[in-house]
Order: sequence, then structure tokens, then C-alpha cells
Amino acid sequence: MTRPATDFAALLTRLLDARVAFILVGGVAGNVHGSARATYDIDVVYARDGDNLRRLVDALGPLEPYLRGAPPGLPFRFDEQTLRAGLNFTLTTSLGDIDLLGEIIGGGSYENLLPSTLEISLFGASCRCVTLATLIRLKRAAGRPRDLEVLAELEALAEESDRS
Amino acid sequence: MCAQKARVDAISLEPNPVIEAYKKDIDRSLLRENLKLTPEQRLLKLQDFVRFLVAVQQAGRAATR
Repeated sequence: MTRPATDFAALLTRLLDARVAFILVGGVAGNVHGSARATYDIDVVYARDGDNLRRLVDALGPLEPYLRGAPPGLPFRFDEQTLRAGLNFTLTTSLGDIDLLGEIIGGGSYENLLPSTLEISLFGASCRCVTLATLIRLKRAAGRPRDLEVLAELEALAEESDRS
Repeated sequence: MCAQKARVDAISLEPNPVIEAYKKDIDRSLLRENLKLTPEQRLLKLQDFVRFLVAVQQAGRAATR
């Protein structure tokens, strides 16, 4: 079955409107910096304090989040209790796929990563995204062979940004 | 927090020979075009591209049924 295209704008707007504290990482962060590679989901590192978990549930709850790749019919409930009991969630929603990361390899938690971010303007709101240098470091830390080609593009992007 | 921050910064950015080899095949003209856009315009461009890819995948599957 073909996955529906993630509506990046609508999904991010929901998080921003609900004032969820999150940082863009992964492929979408690469695109924010100018990458030309396609990605099908949104990866965010989110703050795990109680208020933010509530905002996250308010923002995504109506979109029927479910564990991506899991068989249908599991008793999965997207609520504060579930978020508190887990850490990283790969979800599918009615607006597309989103990965909620409580921690990321090489970068740690939201608070750890915050000094390595920049603020960008997206869809009428302000959004935090990792810097290009940090994104490169995170990809290097992940150490996945499939990321080598991604890293080549991100590093080329850093060179081009320095030139322009 | 400081230890974690130090960990992010401690990850080496030294040239990696495998990454350098891949770099030769990167189409830098695409990157230069993207750098002329705002972050929001880049995301909207990604959105259009992903929608196109999904439509092509669906058409391909329908044709082979």
C-alpha cells in the first residue's frame, strides 16, 4: 500500500499553533537548510515536561495517531500517560507521518539540543531547527551506512552556504 | 546538560573518505537553487515533490494490478 503524502505544512502548523516545544531534526531539517532530498516524515525532538506533553496530545490527538508499522487494532492511546511511559514514538496520523523523539543519538534531549538550534520563520510562526553543523554531527553520530550519501549532500550544502 | 552539549560538539567533522567520495556525485546546482529560497519555500517545494512521488507510486501500482 502506498503511504499518503505527509502534509508537512499542516502538521507543523498544528504543533506551532499549540505552542509545542520541539526542535526539527532529520530530513525536514535538511530541507530547511536547502537539501534537495525527499523525505516522507517529520522528525522532532520534543520537551518532556508535563505541560508540553499536554500540548502535544492536544495538537496531535485529534489526528488519530497510531504506531507506524504496527498491526491494526492495538490498544494504543495517545495520551500524556503513554508519552510519559515511552520516549521515542514513530507515528502515523491523518496528516501523515511524524517521529516524536524524546532523545536523539549524539544530541540527547530537547534541553541538551536547544543551544545547537536556530529560529526560523515557518507558516507565520517561529520554529526551532538544528543548525546545519549540528545536523551533520547528529547524522555522523547515528553511524548508519545509508546516511553517508545524505552526509555528502549536507556537507556540500555547508560548503555552498559558506561560499554564498 | 553541559556534558550532553559537549558530546554534540565533540562529534568529529574531520573529512571522511567515504563521504568525500559520495560528494563528487552531488548536483550542487540543485543546492544553489535551494539556497536562494526561504526555509518555508524549501518546505513547500519538498511538499510538492513528495506529493508528486506518491502520485507516481500510486499510478505505477494501479498500472501493474
